Amino acid sequence: MEARFPGYRLLPYALILPSIAVIIVFLVVPFAMAVQQSFYRTSPFGTTTLFVGFDNYAQLFSAPEYVQSLLTTLAFAALVIGGGLSVSLAIAILVTRKIRGVGFYQVAFIWTYALSPAVAGIIWALLFDPSVGLGTYLIQQLTGYRVNMRVSGTPALLIASAAAVWNMLGYNICFYIAGLQNVPKEFEEAARVDGASPWRTFWRITFPMLSPTTAFLLFTNTIYAFFQVFGLIDILTQGGPGGATEILVYKLYRDGFIRLRVNYAAAQSVLLFLMVAAMALFQLRVTTRRAEYSR
Amino acid sequence: MKKKTLYKIGVHGTLILILAAVAFPLYFTFVMGTLNHQEAYAFPPKLIPGNRLFANVAEAWQRVNLGRLMVNSAVVALAVTVGKILLSILAAFAFTHFHFRGRILLFPLCMVTQMLPLPVRIIPAYGLMASFGWLNTYYALIIPYLASTTGLLLFRQFFLTVPDELPDAARVDGAGPLRYLWHVLIPLSRTNIAALFVIEFVYMWNEYLWPLIVTTDPKMRVAQIGLKMLITTERTTAEWNIIMAGTLVIMLPPLVILILLRRQFAQGIAMQSTK
Amino acid sequence: MKRLALIAGLLVLMVAGLAQAKTTVEFWHAMSGSRLKVLEKIVSDFNAAHPDVEVRAVFTGTYEETLTRFIAGYRTGTAPHLVQVYEVGTQTMIDSGAIIPVYQIPGMLGETWDWAQYVRPIVLYYSVDGNLWPYPFSSSTFMLYYNKDHLRQAGLDPNKPPTTWAEVEEYGEKLIQAGVVSNVLSFGWPDCIFEQELALHNYLYADNENGRADLSTQVTWPDAFSVKLFETWTRLSQKGIFLYGGPEYDANAAFTAGKISMLLQSTSSLDGILKTAQGKFEVGTSFLPRFADEPSGNSVIGGSSLWVRKGQSEAELRAVWEFLKYLSQTDVAIYWHKGTGYFPTTNAALKQLMDEGWFVESPNHLTAFLQILSGRQDTAAALGARLGPFPEIRDYIRTAIEKACAGTLAPEAALAEAAAKANRALQEYRSLIK
Repeated sequence: MEARFPGYRLLPYALILPSIAVIIVFLVVPFAMAVQQSFYRTSPFGTTTLFVGFDNYAQLFSAPEYVQSLLTTLAFAALVIGGGLSVSLAIAILVTRKIRGVGFYQVAFIWTYALSPAVAGIIWALLFDPSVGLGTYLIQQLTGYRVNMRVSGTPALLIASAAAVWNMLGYNICFYIAGLQNVPKEFEEAARVDGASPWRTFWRITFPMLSPTTAFLLFTNTIYAFFQVFGLIDILTQGGPGGATEILVYKLYRDGFIRLRVNYAAAQSVLLFLMVAAMALFQLRVTTRRAEYSR
Repeated sequence: MKKKTLYKIGVHGTLILILAAVAFPLYFTFVMGTLNHQEAYAFPPKLIPGNRLFANVAEAWQRVNLGRLMVNSAVVALAVTVGKILLSILAAFAFTHFHFRGRILLFPLCMVTQMLPLPVRIIPAYGLMASFGWLNTYYALIIPYLASTTGLLLFRQFFLTVPDELPDAARVDGAGPLRYLWHVLIPLSRTNIAALFVIEFVYMWNEYLWPLIVTTDPKMRVAQIGLKMLITTERTTAEWNIIMAGTLVIMLPPLVILILLRRQFAQGIAMQSTK
Repeated sequence: MKRLALIAGLLVLMVAGLAQAKTTVEFWHAMSGSRLKVLEKIVSDFNAAHPDVEVRAVFTGTYEETLTRFIAGYRTGTAPHLVQVYEVGTQTMIDSGAIIPVYQIPGMLGETWDWAQYVRPIVLYYSVDGNLWPYPFSSSTFMLYYNKDHLRQAGLDPNKPPTTWAEVEEYGEKLIQAGVVSNVLSFGWPDCIFEQELALHNYLYADNENGRADLSTQVTWPDAFSVKLFETWTRLSQKGIFLYGGPEYDANAAFTAGKISMLLQSTSSLDGILKTAQGKFEVGTSFLPRFADEPSGNSVIGGSSLWVRKGQSEAELRAVWEFLKYLSQTDVAIYWHKGTGYFPTTNAALKQLMDEGWFVESPNHLTAFLQILSGRQDTAAALGARLGPFPEIRDYIRTAIEKACAGTLAPEAALAEAAAKANRALQEYRSLIK
């Protein structure tokens, strides 16, 4: 492409300077500092700094709480993604049957996404409050079991996942609706004419054609479950009980700001970065391959 | 024919039921916000709204100084949204309308921002705010958010679709690039800007972790942290009716925006998928 | 000659002007809710009485947030002159190199001060080698709150609350059987209750005289007593008598709502609880429950104290000192105690409260005092531990309590897990300071 405004040498740099400045000062520099801090150990007031090499990392890998936090995060993400995507897809399929009012339903479902994770957390904290929650009451009526997420870990994780799924429901539904509407009807009809059952039609034709949407939602839901859900956890469970909902990002926060183990938390930041980088690169490969496919 | 109508009723009916189920937690929240102290402790919980909504809101408002929190959120959300859009437009303009060696920075810049979400740099970033003396100020709440490569890519994509005739005509008219940007490109980008504005405002209103750590002064905290403050003030009694009344206020702006500006909201969301 | 006079005159004016300038004292604290109002009145009264000083009291969040911010502030040169730090931050502050021990201040300013005027157990808690390092301001301890009406309903004597854990269990069963409540007891700050129970029975929490003779290297648990304690709590939890109530003050809500009958909580919650329970039920208080067959120690001082930052000008230090002296005035100490429930810090305040019949009017305010004054003050175990990474260790104990009560881990295993992490933290801290 030709330069639309040739001959300007300094102006383009001036135009990108603010963005680059912010990115360097507030993104790159802190991250570099985190990498450096992860190789040291400092006394709380900074009076002593010891170089400890990979010791912080060694501690992390041998610490049961870190491993538990990692597994909890993976379990949580799996619940949010698995539960969220399947429920949203089911609802989206219903919406895209030959009925009127698709637009209405899109708006009618999207609102859960407008709520912040913290708000979702507080709503579900009330819903399952051990003393006055409607959810607590319903479960007690149905099963006789008095669920108390302040005491038992598994209910806490399940409730947190449910809240997260609820929060992302609108988002996932809207994308699946759009995705479904983009599936060319001819394929489905052709399969129907050939005598395939709706179930087979769906799995053999529709679902594979939805894979770009699914891949995209997989990525965004993972980012949500790893990071954005912090407010939800802080309001709902504070990582408890007994660390049952202490996902990686929450453990990082507690270690860095509450337990004042700054260097240990820095090592966790670096590990988190490696996970995000892996996810980002993976998504990049998938999208470029997808682009090739569609050509 | 009848079968088809039955089918349609069935689908609609199921969807309405699902909608009701999804909306129920919110309804319960609303009811709780209207109850008085005795009713709030009822078990089984009450499902009919009471009549103390305004009293509860007033109480929550006063307890955590909700007015100030909402103002802070509004100021921060507005400043970041405007700033972010401005910086993205400027950068996108540079990358699409000029040849300069810095153009190769585009891809690394985007990769870097995508791979460095807040938790990955949060502790040194906090230390930086302390060094700058920005803790408990609007600076800490606003400035770190100003660079967005999502916006950058969006505007870049859009600018590339603008036919060459327009900037050429501008050059012929003797207009410099900045005049072209201001008088031609930006008005052309109105829909994109509106969509981004809406979605970014909601996103900033909902931010939690960063405001949590860079502000501790109750006068500088944002609405989302108000939720936490409502749960933890005094705490000799966890009064859900007051807490939920406050929650209803805090969640209102994004919902209002969604209702009034739903097209822009939907557009904004759709934009995020085009990378 | 004339010019010299002019310059001299200007200089005099300048100096006079400077002398009129206010010295600002920045004071960071963690007092929220009703305590904030009481503190603000004290500060504004002081400012009115001292026109050349302005104390700016800034609420900087929870105790944890305040400490984090102080550390960040100190490392970037933006720390306040005076900061309120909770008791578990004591060792960190002592080792920080960032503060002036308060006992040195009068000497630095050419004054003298009687440090014996403060209530003894509090002084002992905050002293190093017999000298007071922070100013004792907001000290509390833990006690038993109970619902007298509930006891009556269950056929128990409302003026005979449980004294031992065995009685807690017995009363608990009766209360549940009588249908008064479905759960009986909860804790505020469960990690603190653990510390309290160890000290109450004269057991050390950590080695090196609870960290008072030298930095600790390991904790004393799990040992026979701590395992017994955990097993008792776990059993009570399984019977539904003990209901785990969250990390800090969550359990207060259950108590004031009449959903539980007993609460082990900080004395600083007294005023809030009395106010909320007024008209609903009669609140009684007593000593923390103990084990009948174990030795006696004391309850531990908790709460927070005020620390003076190093590196201030003489004018600033003098201003800070004036404020601290003001807080020691009998009327101010009494006002603070009555408004918050924290201990009155001076013996003079204590005497005046007694003289005016305050403790007769409100016997619940006397309980914590009697508990602490009637216990031992001569052993490190009874004084309580002083550890560098205390906030972290408390977190591990809390997790251990959660896991034991939820049945995720056996009591001893939960304690062992917490102990391993605590010891690692202690050794890391030691390696950094020594």
